[in-house]
Amino acid sequence: MISFSFRYVPSAARRLYTTASGASSVITPTHSIYLSTSTNPYFNLSFEDWLFRHAPQKEPLLLLYRDAPCVVIGRNQNPWKEVNLRAARAQGIPWIRRRSGGGTVYHDLGNTNFSIHVPRTTFDRGATAQVILRAVRALGIDADVNERNDICVGGEKASGSAYKIVSGRAYHHGTMLITTRLETLGDLLRVDKDTMITKGVASVRSPVCNLAQFSKKVSHEMFVNAVVDSFKAEYGVHDEPCIVNDTDDLARIGYIQRGMAELPSWDWAFGQTPEFEYTIKKPFVWGDVTAHIHARHGVILSCTLQGLDSELGKALEGKRYGFIEDEELGVDLSGRREVVWAWLNEEMKSYD
Amino acid sequence: MFSTIRQAARARTMSLTTARTSPSNIMRIPGCRTIVTKKYTEEHEVVAFDDETGLGAVSITHHAQESLGDVVFVELPAVGTKVSKGDQIGAVESVKAASDIYAPVSGIVTEVNEALNSEPGLLNRSPEEKGWLCKIKLSAPEEINALLTLESYKATWEA
Repeated sequence: MISFSFRYVPSAARRLYTTASGASSVITPTHSIYLSTSTNPYFNLSFEDWLFRHAPQKEPLLLLYRDAPCVVIGRNQNPWKEVNLRAARAQGIPWIRRRSGGGTVYHDLGNTNFSIHVPRTTFDRGATAQVILRAVRALGIDADVNERNDICVGGEKASGSAYKIVSGRAYHHGTMLITTRLETLGDLLRVDKDTMITKGVASVRSPVCNLAQFSKKVSHEMFVNAVVDSFKAEYGVHDEPCIVNDTDDLARIGYIQRGMAELPSWDWAFGQTPEFEYTIKKPFVWGDVTAHIHARHGVILSCTLQGLDSELGKALEGKRYGFIEDEELGVDLSGRREVVWAWLNEEMKSYD
Repeated sequence: MFSTIRQAARARTMSLTTARTSPSNIMRIPGCRTIVTKKYTEEHEVVAFDDETGLGAVSITHHAQESLGDVVFVELPAVGTKVSKGDQIGAVESVKAASDIYAPVSGIVTEVNEALNSEPGLLNRSPEEKGWLCKIKLSAPEEINALLTLESYKATWEA
Protein backbone atom coordinates (compact mmCIF):
# COMPACT_ATOMS: atom_id res chain seq x y z
CA MET A 1 0.00 0.00 0.00
CA ILE A 2 1.53 3.25 -1.05
CA SER A 3 0.91 5.98 1.47
CA PHE A 4 0.75 9.56 0.43
CA SER A 5 1.75 12.54 2.49
CA PHE A 6 -1.10 14.43 0.93
CA ARG A 7 -3.29 17.12 2.22
CA TYR A 8 -6.30 15.41 0.72
CA VAL A 9 -9.20 13.38 2.02
CA PRO A 10 -9.63 9.83 0.67
CA SER A 11 -12.41 9.21 -1.82
CA ALA A 12 -14.61 7.22 0.55
CA ALA A 13 -15.50 10.48 2.23
CA ARG A 14 -16.81 11.95 -0.99
CA ARG A 15 -19.14 10.98 -3.82
CA LEU A 16 -17.07 9.77 -6.71
CA TYR A 17 -19.64 9.96 -9.38
CA THR A 18 -23.29 10.66 -10.02
CA THR A 19 -25.92 8.43 -11.47
CA ALA A 20 -28.39 10.16 -13.71
CA SER A 21 -31.90 9.80 -12.40
CA GLY A 22 -34.49 7.96 -14.40
CA ALA A 23 -34.13 4.94 -16.62
CA SER A 24 -30.62 5.74 -17.78
CA SER A 25 -27.90 4.50 -15.45
CA VAL A 26 -25.05 6.45 -16.97
CA ILE A 27 -22.44 7.19 -14.34
CA THR A 28 -20.33 10.32 -14.80
CA PRO A 29 -17.23 11.63 -13.06
CA THR A 30 -17.88 14.70 -10.90
CA HIS A 31 -14.38 15.75 -9.87
CA SER A 32 -11.72 17.77 -11.66
CA ILE A 33 -8.65 16.12 -10.17
CA TYR A 34 -8.14 12.38 -9.75
CA LEU A 35 -5.21 10.57 -8.16
CA SER A 36 -5.09 6.83 -8.74
CA THR A 37 -3.31 4.73 -6.15
CA SER A 38 -3.71 1.64 -8.31
CA THR A 39 -0.53 0.50 -10.04
CA ASN A 40 -2.42 -1.76 -12.45
CA PRO A 41 -1.74 -0.31 -15.92
CA TYR A 42 -4.85 -1.94 -17.41
CA PHE A 43 -6.99 -0.23 -14.79
CA ASN A 44 -5.22 3.13 -15.04
CA LEU A 45 -5.48 3.30 -18.84
CA SER A 46 -9.12 2.19 -18.80
CA PHE A 47 -10.00 4.58 -15.97
CA GLU A 48 -8.32 7.39 -17.92
CA ASP A 49 -10.34 6.49 -21.01
CA TRP A 50 -13.56 6.41 -18.94
CA LEU A 51 -12.82 9.88 -17.56
CA PHE A 52 -12.05 11.07 -21.10
CA ARG A 53 -15.34 9.85 -22.54
CA HIS A 54 -17.63 10.67 -19.62
CA ALA A 55 -16.43 13.80 -17.84
CA PRO A 56 -18.29 17.09 -18.56
CA GLN A 57 -16.98 18.30 -21.91
CA LYS A 58 -16.31 21.88 -20.92
CA GLU A 59 -14.41 21.22 -17.67
CA PRO A 60 -10.66 20.70 -17.47
CA LEU A 61 -9.63 17.49 -15.69
CA LEU A 62 -6.36 16.12 -14.33
CA LEU A 63 -5.41 12.51 -13.58
CA LEU A 64 -2.13 11.35 -12.05
CA TYR A 65 -1.04 7.73 -11.61
CA ARG A 66 1.86 5.30 -11.49
CA ASP A 67 2.10 1.84 -12.99
CA ALA A 68 3.96 -1.30 -11.88
CA PRO A 69 6.69 -2.04 -14.44
CA CYS A 70 5.35 -2.26 -18.02
CA VAL A 71 6.15 -1.09 -21.53
CA VAL A 72 3.52 1.05 -23.24
CA ILE A 73 3.46 1.41 -27.02
CA GLY A 74 1.51 3.96 -29.08
CA ARG A 75 -1.78 3.21 -30.81
CA ASN A 76 -0.27 2.71 -34.25
CA GLN A 77 3.02 1.06 -33.40
CA ASN A 78 4.52 -2.36 -34.06
CA PRO A 79 5.32 -4.31 -30.86
CA TRP A 80 7.80 -6.58 -32.63
CA LYS A 81 9.76 -3.53 -33.70
CA GLU A 82 9.46 -1.46 -30.52
CA VAL A 83 9.62 -3.92 -27.62
CA ASN A 84 12.24 -6.48 -26.74
CA LEU A 85 9.49 -9.07 -26.24
CA ARG A 86 11.79 -11.84 -25.00
CA ALA A 87 13.48 -9.65 -22.42
CA ALA A 88 10.10 -8.33 -21.25
CA ARG A 89 8.70 -11.85 -20.93
CA ALA A 90 11.83 -13.04 -19.12
CA GLN A 91 11.44 -10.26 -16.55
CA GLY A 92 7.69 -10.75 -16.20
CA ILE A 93 7.05 -7.24 -17.54
CA PRO A 94 3.93 -6.86 -19.69
CA TRP A 95 3.61 -4.54 -22.67
CA ILE A 96 0.44 -2.66 -23.51
CA ARG A 97 -0.86 -0.75 -26.53
CA ARG A 98 -2.42 2.52 -25.38
CA ARG A 99 -5.17 4.48 -27.17
CA SER A 100 -3.22 7.67 -27.87
CA GLY A 101 -0.59 8.04 -30.58
CA GLY A 102 3.12 8.58 -30.17
CA GLY A 103 6.02 6.32 -29.26
CA THR A 104 7.06 3.66 -26.77
CA VAL A 105 7.76 4.32 -23.10
CA TYR A 106 8.68 2.31 -20.01
CA HIS A 107 6.71 2.74 -16.79
CA ASP A 108 7.73 1.71 -13.30
CA LEU A 109 7.06 3.10 -9.84
CA GLY A 110 9.81 5.66 -10.34
CA ASN A 111 7.79 7.19 -13.20
CA THR A 112 4.68 9.31 -12.67
CA ASN A 113 2.05 9.68 -15.39
CA PHE A 114 -0.06 12.80 -15.87
CA SER A 115 -3.14 13.26 -18.04
CA ILE A 116 -4.76 16.64 -18.72
CA HIS A 117 -8.19 16.63 -20.39
CA VAL A 118 -9.76 19.76 -21.90
CA PRO A 119 -12.44 20.70 -24.45
CA ARG A 120 -11.27 20.05 -28.00
CA THR A 121 -11.81 23.63 -29.09
CA THR A 122 -9.38 25.07 -26.53
CA PHE A 123 -6.75 22.35 -26.62
CA ASP A 124 -3.23 23.69 -26.95
CA ARG A 125 -0.51 21.15 -26.29
CA GLY A 126 2.05 23.89 -25.66
CA ALA A 127 -0.12 25.29 -22.88
CA THR A 128 -0.64 21.91 -21.24
CA ALA A 129 3.11 21.25 -21.44
CA GLN A 130 3.66 24.53 -19.58
CA VAL A 131 1.40 23.34 -16.75
CA ILE A 132 3.78 20.41 -16.23
CA LEU A 133 6.90 22.49 -16.81
CA ARG A 134 5.86 25.01 -14.17
CA ALA A 135 5.36 22.14 -11.73
CA VAL A 136 8.85 20.76 -12.37
CA ARG A 137 10.40 24.21 -12.07
CA ALA A 138 8.53 24.77 -8.80
CA LEU A 139 10.50 21.79 -7.47
CA GLY A 140 13.68 23.74 -8.11
CA ILE A 141 14.66 21.88 -11.28
CA ASP A 142 15.85 23.89 -14.27
CA ALA A 143 13.76 22.17 -16.96
CA ASP A 144 12.70 23.23 -20.46
CA VAL A 145 10.35 22.16 -23.23
CA ASN A 146 12.04 21.06 -26.48
CA GLU A 147 10.77 21.46 -30.05
CA ARG A 148 8.85 18.17 -29.80
CA ASN A 149 7.00 19.45 -26.73
CA ASP A 150 8.97 17.13 -24.39
CA ILE A 151 10.14 18.28 -20.98
CA CYS A 152 13.92 18.04 -20.76
CA VAL A 153 16.62 18.79 -18.23
CA GLY A 154 20.15 19.41 -19.40
CA GLY A 155 19.33 18.28 -22.94
CA GLU A 156 17.92 14.89 -21.90
CA LYS A 157 14.27 13.88 -21.89
CA ALA A 158 12.64 13.50 -18.51
CA SER A 159 9.17 13.19 -20.01
CA GLY A 160 7.45 11.93 -23.16
CA SER A 161 3.98 12.97 -24.26
CA ALA A 162 1.12 11.76 -26.43
CA TYR A 163 -2.16 13.34 -27.41
CA LYS A 164 -5.64 12.23 -28.36
CA ILE A 165 -8.54 14.15 -29.86
CA VAL A 166 -12.17 13.15 -30.30
CA SER A 167 -15.11 15.31 -31.27
CA GLY A 168 -15.62 17.15 -28.00
CA ARG A 169 -12.49 16.51 -25.94
CA ALA A 170 -8.74 16.27 -26.16
CA TYR A 171 -6.02 15.10 -23.81
CA HIS A 172 -2.32 15.50 -23.33
CA HIS A 173 -0.83 12.70 -21.28
CA GLY A 174 2.73 11.80 -20.56
CA THR A 175 5.39 10.31 -18.36
CA MET A 176 7.74 11.94 -15.89
CA LEU A 177 10.89 10.03 -15.00
CA ILE A 178 11.66 10.64 -11.34
CA THR A 179 13.56 7.56 -10.09
CA THR A 180 12.98 5.06 -12.90
CA ARG A 181 15.41 2.19 -13.51
CA LEU A 182 16.90 3.56 -16.69
CA GLU A 183 18.93 0.45 -17.47
CA THR A 184 15.74 -1.62 -17.56
CA LEU A 185 14.16 1.00 -19.78
CA GLY A 186 17.11 0.70 -22.14
CA ASP A 187 16.98 -3.14 -22.22
CA LEU A 188 13.28 -3.40 -22.94
CA LEU A 189 13.16 -0.69 -25.58
CA ARG A 190 16.20 -1.91 -27.48
CA VAL A 191 15.22 -3.92 -30.54
CA ASP A 192 17.50 -4.81 -33.33
CA LYS A 193 15.21 -5.53 -36.31
CA ASP A 194 16.50 -3.17 -38.97
CA THR A 195 15.03 -5.31 -41.74
CA MET A 196 11.50 -5.00 -40.36
CA ILE A 197 9.88 -2.10 -42.22
CA THR A 198 6.69 -0.83 -40.66
CA LYS A 199 3.96 1.41 -42.07
CA GLY A 200 3.10 2.26 -38.49
CA VAL A 201 4.59 4.92 -36.27
CA ALA A 202 8.23 4.61 -35.26
CA SER A 203 9.51 5.85 -31.91
CA VAL A 204 11.95 8.74 -31.86
CA ARG A 205 14.71 7.61 -29.52
CA SER A 206 16.25 10.10 -27.11
CA PRO A 207 18.63 9.96 -24.18
CA VAL A 208 16.67 10.13 -20.93
CA CYS A 209 17.24 11.26 -17.34
CA ASN A 210 15.49 11.12 -13.98
CA LEU A 211 14.43 14.28 -12.13
CA ALA A 212 16.13 12.78 -9.07
CA GLN A 213 19.48 13.40 -10.77
CA PHE A 214 18.83 17.12 -10.34
CA SER A 215 17.22 17.30 -6.92
CA LYS A 216 17.77 15.28 -3.75
CA LYS A 217 14.24 15.85 -2.49
CA VAL A 218 12.09 15.16 -5.53
CA SER A 219 9.63 12.27 -5.23
CA HIS A 220 6.36 11.04 -6.74
CA GLU A 221 4.39 12.76 -3.97
CA MET A 222 6.16 16.08 -4.44
CA PHE A 223 5.70 15.97 -8.21
CA VAL A 224 2.00 15.14 -7.81
CA ASN A 225 1.46 18.03 -5.38
CA ALA A 226 3.30 20.42 -7.71
CA VAL A 227 1.25 19.36 -10.76
CA VAL A 228 -2.02 19.64 -8.84
CA ASP A 229 -1.09 23.18 -7.74
CA SER A 230 -0.02 24.16 -11.26
CA PHE A 231 -3.23 22.72 -12.78
CA LYS A 232 -5.42 24.50 -10.24
CA ALA A 233 -3.67 27.81 -10.94
CA GLU A 234 -3.91 27.43 -14.72
CA TYR A 235 -7.57 26.47 -14.91
CA GLY A 236 -8.96 28.21 -11.83
CA VAL A 237 -9.98 24.92 -10.26
CA HIS A 238 -10.48 24.73 -6.50
CA ASP A 239 -11.64 21.13 -6.04
CA GLU A 240 -9.78 18.83 -3.78
CA PRO A 241 -8.41 15.72 -5.53
CA CYS A 242 -10.36 12.50 -5.49
CA ILE A 243 -8.29 9.39 -4.72
CA VAL A 244 -9.31 6.20 -6.53
CA ASN A 245 -8.14 2.60 -6.58
CA ASP A 246 -8.96 -0.46 -8.65
CA THR A 247 -10.55 -2.00 -5.54
CA ASP A 248 -13.17 0.77 -5.38
CA ASP A 249 -16.74 0.22 -6.55
CA LEU A 250 -16.03 2.43 -9.52
CA ALA A 251 -13.69 -0.17 -10.97
CA ARG A 252 -16.76 -2.34 -11.54
CA ILE A 253 -18.22 0.14 -14.02
CA GLY A 254 -18.90 -1.81 -17.24
CA TYR A 255 -16.98 0.59 -19.47
CA ILE A 256 -13.86 0.24 -17.31
CA GLN A 257 -14.19 -3.54 -17.04
CA ARG A 258 -14.52 -3.84 -20.82
CA GLY A 259 -11.48 -1.63 -21.32
CA MET A 260 -9.41 -3.73 -18.93
CA ALA A 261 -10.43 -6.87 -20.82
CA GLU A 262 -9.75 -5.39 -24.24
CA LEU A 263 -6.22 -4.10 -23.64
CA PRO A 264 -4.51 -7.50 -23.20
CA SER A 265 -6.59 -9.24 -25.92
CA TRP A 266 -4.83 -10.44 -29.08
CA ASP A 267 -7.22 -8.37 -31.22
CA TRP A 268 -6.12 -5.13 -29.59
CA ALA A 269 -2.52 -5.84 -28.60
CA PHE A 270 -1.34 -7.55 -31.80
CA GLY A 271 -4.32 -7.20 -34.15
CA GLN A 272 -3.97 -3.41 -34.29
CA THR A 273 -0.43 -3.61 -35.67
CA PRO A 274 -0.13 -1.67 -38.93
CA GLU A 275 1.18 -3.30 -42.08
CA PHE A 276 4.82 -4.36 -42.04
CA GLU A 277 7.36 -6.26 -44.12
CA TYR A 278 10.19 -8.29 -42.68
CA THR A 279 13.08 -9.67 -44.70
CA ILE A 280 15.45 -12.19 -43.18
CA LYS A 281 18.13 -14.42 -44.60
CA LYS A 282 20.00 -17.46 -43.32
CA PRO A 283 22.57 -19.80 -44.82
CA PHE A 284 21.64 -23.48 -44.78
CA VAL A 285 23.70 -26.47 -45.90
CA TRP A 286 22.13 -26.32 -49.37
CA GLY A 287 22.35 -22.55 -49.76
CA ASP A 288 20.87 -19.33 -48.51
CA VAL A 289 17.18 -18.98 -47.78
CA THR A 290 15.63 -15.52 -47.86
CA ALA A 291 12.17 -15.00 -46.40
CA HIS A 292 10.09 -11.94 -47.14
CA ILE A 293 7.09 -11.76 -44.83
CA HIS A 294 4.27 -9.29 -45.38
CA ALA A 295 1.75 -8.86 -42.57
CA ARG A 296 -1.09 -6.58 -41.63
CA HIS A 297 -3.13 -6.44 -38.43
CA GLY A 298 -0.95 -9.17 -36.98
CA VAL A 299 -1.85 -11.64 -39.75
CA ILE A 300 0.55 -12.87 -42.45
CA LEU A 301 -0.56 -11.78 -45.91
CA SER A 302 2.25 -13.53 -47.72
CA CYS A 303 5.59 -15.19 -47.15
CA THR A 304 7.88 -15.48 -50.13
CA LEU A 305 10.78 -17.88 -49.78
CA GLN A 306 13.82 -18.00 -51.99
CA GLY A 307 15.87 -21.15 -51.61
CA LEU A 308 12.91 -23.40 -50.79
CA ASP A 309 9.75 -24.61 -52.53
CA SER A 310 6.71 -22.43 -52.07
CA GLU A 311 4.53 -24.81 -49.99
CA LEU A 312 5.72 -23.57 -46.60
CA GLY A 313 5.37 -19.90 -47.53
CA LYS A 314 1.81 -20.45 -48.79
CA ALA A 315 0.91 -22.34 -45.63
CA LEU A 316 1.72 -19.25 -43.54
CA GLU A 317 -0.81 -17.05 -45.32
CA GLY A 318 -3.68 -16.04 -43.08
CA LYS A 319 -1.92 -17.19 -39.90
CA ARG A 320 -1.18 -15.01 -36.88
CA TYR A 321 2.39 -13.73 -37.01
CA GLY A 322 4.37 -15.11 -34.08
CA PHE A 323 1.61 -17.42 -32.85
CA ILE A 324 1.66 -20.34 -35.26
CA GLU A 325 1.55 -23.93 -34.03
CA ASP A 326 3.18 -26.59 -36.20
CA GLU A 327 -0.11 -28.46 -36.57
CA GLU A 328 -1.83 -25.41 -38.11
CA LEU A 329 0.40 -25.44 -41.14
CA GLY A 330 -1.03 -28.49 -42.86
CA VAL A 331 2.14 -29.26 -44.79
CA ASP A 332 4.65 -32.04 -44.51
CA LEU A 333 7.38 -30.60 -42.31
CA SER A 334 10.32 -32.78 -43.09
CA GLY A 335 13.76 -32.30 -44.56
CA ARG A 336 14.52 -28.77 -45.63
CA ARG A 337 11.09 -27.48 -44.69
CA GLU A 338 11.61 -28.61 -41.10
CA VAL A 339 14.77 -26.59 -40.54
CA VAL A 340 13.51 -23.55 -42.43
CA TRP A 341 10.27 -23.58 -40.44
CA ALA A 342 12.20 -23.88 -37.17
CA TRP A 343 14.21 -20.81 -38.17
CA LEU A 344 11.18 -18.75 -39.26
CA ASN A 345 9.25 -19.69 -36.16
CA GLU A 346 12.14 -18.66 -33.95
CA GLU A 347 12.45 -15.31 -35.72
CA MET A 348 8.74 -14.54 -35.46
CA LYS A 349 8.01 -15.92 -32.08
CA SER A 350 6.86 -13.33 -29.62
CA TYR A 351 7.58 -15.39 -26.54
CA ASP A 352 9.87 -18.28 -25.62
CA MET B 1 -11.99 16.81 -35.59
CA PHE B 2 -8.67 18.48 -34.80
CA SER B 3 -7.85 19.78 -31.40
CA THR B 4 -4.87 21.77 -32.54
CA ILE B 5 -7.18 24.12 -34.37
CA ARG B 6 -8.29 26.97 -32.18
CA GLN B 7 -11.85 27.87 -32.99
CA ALA B 8 -12.08 31.58 -33.48
CA ALA B 9 -15.08 33.30 -32.01
CA ARG B 10 -17.87 33.12 -34.49
CA ALA B 11 -19.04 36.44 -35.86
CA ARG B 12 -22.45 36.85 -34.31
CA THR B 13 -23.63 39.02 -37.16
CA MET B 14 -22.71 36.46 -39.80
CA SER B 15 -25.74 34.90 -41.36
CA LEU B 16 -25.46 31.30 -42.35
CA THR B 17 -27.32 30.83 -45.56
CA THR B 18 -26.37 27.26 -46.17
CA ALA B 19 -29.53 26.19 -47.94
CA ARG B 20 -28.35 27.54 -51.27
CA THR B 21 -25.27 26.07 -52.81
CA SER B 22 -23.17 28.95 -54.04
CA PRO B 23 -21.66 28.86 -57.53
CA SER B 24 -18.14 28.42 -56.16
CA ASN B 25 -19.09 25.02 -54.75
CA ILE B 26 -20.37 23.54 -57.96
CA MET B 27 -17.99 22.36 -60.62
CA ARG B 28 -19.52 21.85 -64.03
CA ILE B 29 -17.24 19.73 -66.14
CA PRO B 30 -17.53 20.68 -69.82
CA GLY B 31 -19.04 17.99 -72.01
CA CYS B 32 -20.26 16.13 -68.96
CA ARG B 33 -23.52 16.43 -67.07
CA THR B 34 -21.97 15.47 -63.73
CA ILE B 35 -22.36 18.02 -60.97
CA VAL B 36 -20.04 17.71 -57.97
CA THR B 37 -20.92 19.72 -54.87
CA LYS B 38 -18.37 20.36 -52.16
CA LYS B 39 -19.66 20.88 -48.63
CA TYR B 40 -17.84 21.19 -45.33
CA THR B 41 -18.25 20.32 -41.65
CA GLU B 42 -17.16 22.13 -38.51
CA GLU B 43 -14.94 19.16 -37.77
CA HIS B 44 -12.90 20.05 -40.85
CA GLU B 45 -14.14 17.33 -43.18
CA VAL B 46 -15.12 17.88 -46.81
CA VAL B 47 -17.55 15.89 -48.90
CA ALA B 48 -17.42 16.13 -52.69
CA PHE B 49 -20.84 14.83 -53.66
CA ASP B 50 -21.55 13.60 -57.18
CA ASP B 51 -25.32 13.63 -57.53
CA GLU B 52 -25.24 11.29 -60.53
CA THR B 53 -23.45 8.43 -58.77
CA GLY B 54 -24.76 9.29 -55.31
CA LEU B 55 -21.20 8.96 -54.01
CA GLY B 56 -19.53 11.42 -51.64
CA ALA B 57 -15.74 11.48 -51.52
CA VAL B 58 -14.67 12.33 -47.94
CA SER B 59 -11.47 14.27 -47.23
CA ILE B 60 -10.04 16.57 -44.61
CA THR B 61 -9.68 20.24 -45.42
CA HIS B 62 -6.49 22.06 -46.28
CA HIS B 63 -6.84 24.04 -43.06
CA ALA B 64 -7.06 20.79 -41.10
CA GLN B 65 -3.90 19.30 -42.57
CA GLU B 66 -2.03 22.51 -41.80
CA SER B 67 -3.06 22.36 -38.16
CA LEU B 68 -2.39 18.65 -37.85
CA GLY B 69 1.23 18.79 -38.92
CA ASP B 70 2.91 15.90 -40.70
CA VAL B 71 0.56 12.94 -40.97
CA VAL B 72 2.30 9.68 -40.13
CA PHE B 73 -0.56 7.20 -40.12
CA VAL B 74 -4.14 6.97 -41.38
CA GLU B 75 -6.70 4.46 -40.18
CA LEU B 76 -9.54 3.98 -42.65
CA PRO B 77 -12.90 2.22 -42.40
CA ALA B 78 -13.52 -1.16 -44.00
CA VAL B 79 -15.27 -1.19 -47.36
CA GLY B 80 -18.89 -2.12 -46.80
CA THR B 81 -19.15 -0.42 -43.41
CA LYS B 82 -22.51 1.20 -42.80
CA VAL B 83 -22.09 4.62 -41.19
CA SER B 84 -24.37 7.23 -39.73
CA LYS B 85 -23.52 10.91 -39.84
CA GLY B 86 -21.24 11.63 -36.89
CA ASP B 87 -19.97 8.05 -36.41
CA GLN B 88 -16.25 7.61 -36.07
CA ILE B 89 -14.99 6.17 -39.36
CA GLY B 90 -11.24 6.36 -38.92
CA ALA B 91 -8.37 8.23 -37.38
CA VAL B 92 -5.34 10.24 -38.34
CA GLU B 93 -2.10 10.26 -36.40
CA SER B 94 0.18 13.20 -36.97
CA VAL B 95 3.31 14.25 -35.14
CA LYS B 96 1.01 16.38 -33.01
CA ALA B 97 -1.85 14.06 -32.06
CA ALA B 98 -4.08 11.08 -32.79
CA SER B 99 -7.40 12.50 -34.04
CA ASP B 100 -10.62 10.73 -34.85
CA ILE B 101 -12.40 11.24 -38.20
CA TYR B 102 -16.19 11.34 -38.29
CA ALA B 103 -18.61 10.52 -41.10
CA PRO B 104 -20.01 13.80 -42.47
CA VAL B 105 -22.93 11.94 -44.07
CA SER B 106 -24.73 8.62 -43.62
CA GLY B 107 -24.38 5.70 -46.00
CA ILE B 108 -22.14 2.79 -46.94
CA VAL B 109 -18.38 2.98 -47.48
CA THR B 110 -17.79 1.80 -51.06
CA GLU B 111 -14.11 2.55 -51.47
CA VAL B 112 -11.10 3.58 -49.38
CA ASN B 113 -7.92 5.26 -50.55
CA GLU B 114 -5.34 2.47 -50.22
CA ALA B 115 -2.59 4.87 -51.31
CA LEU B 116 -2.73 6.36 -47.80
CA ASN B 117 -1.34 3.12 -46.36
CA SER B 118 2.02 3.75 -47.95
CA GLU B 119 1.78 7.51 -48.34
CA PRO B 120 0.05 9.04 -45.33
CA GLY B 121 1.74 12.31 -46.31
CA LEU B 122 -0.78 12.63 -49.16
CA LEU B 123 -3.12 14.09 -46.57
CA ASN B 124 -0.70 16.98 -46.19
CA ARG B 125 0.30 17.39 -49.84
CA SER B 126 -3.13 17.04 -51.42
CA PRO B 127 -5.79 16.82 -48.73
CA GLU B 128 -8.84 17.43 -50.89
CA GLU B 129 -7.71 15.61 -54.04
CA LYS B 130 -5.16 12.77 -53.96
CA GLY B 131 -5.48 12.47 -50.19
CA TRP B 132 -9.20 11.55 -50.25
CA LEU B 133 -10.05 9.16 -47.42
CA CYS B 134 -13.05 7.14 -48.53
CA LYS B 135 -16.15 7.22 -50.69
CA ILE B 136 -19.59 6.88 -49.18
CA LYS B 137 -22.74 5.95 -51.04
CA LEU B 138 -25.15 8.36 -49.39
CA SER B 139 -28.28 6.86 -47.92
CA ALA B 140 -29.80 10.31 -47.41
CA PRO B 141 -28.51 12.77 -50.06
CA GLU B 142 -30.50 15.58 -48.47
CA GLU B 143 -27.93 15.55 -45.62
CA ILE B 144 -25.62 17.44 -47.98
CA ASN B 145 -27.88 20.49 -47.77
CA ALA B 146 -27.31 20.83 -44.03
CA LEU B 147 -23.51 20.97 -44.36
CA LEU B 148 -21.53 24.20 -44.63
CA THR B 149 -20.51 26.05 -47.78
CA LEU B 150 -16.86 26.98 -48.14
CA GLU B 151 -17.55 30.52 -46.92
CA SER B 152 -19.52 29.35 -43.90
CA TYR B 153 -16.85 26.77 -43.08
CA LYS B 154 -14.09 29.37 -43.26
CA ALA B 155 -16.08 31.62 -40.97
CA THR B 156 -16.01 28.95 -38.27
CA TRP B 157 -12.26 29.27 -37.81
CA GLU B 158 -11.06 32.44 -39.46
CA ALA B 159 -10.39 35.29 -37.06
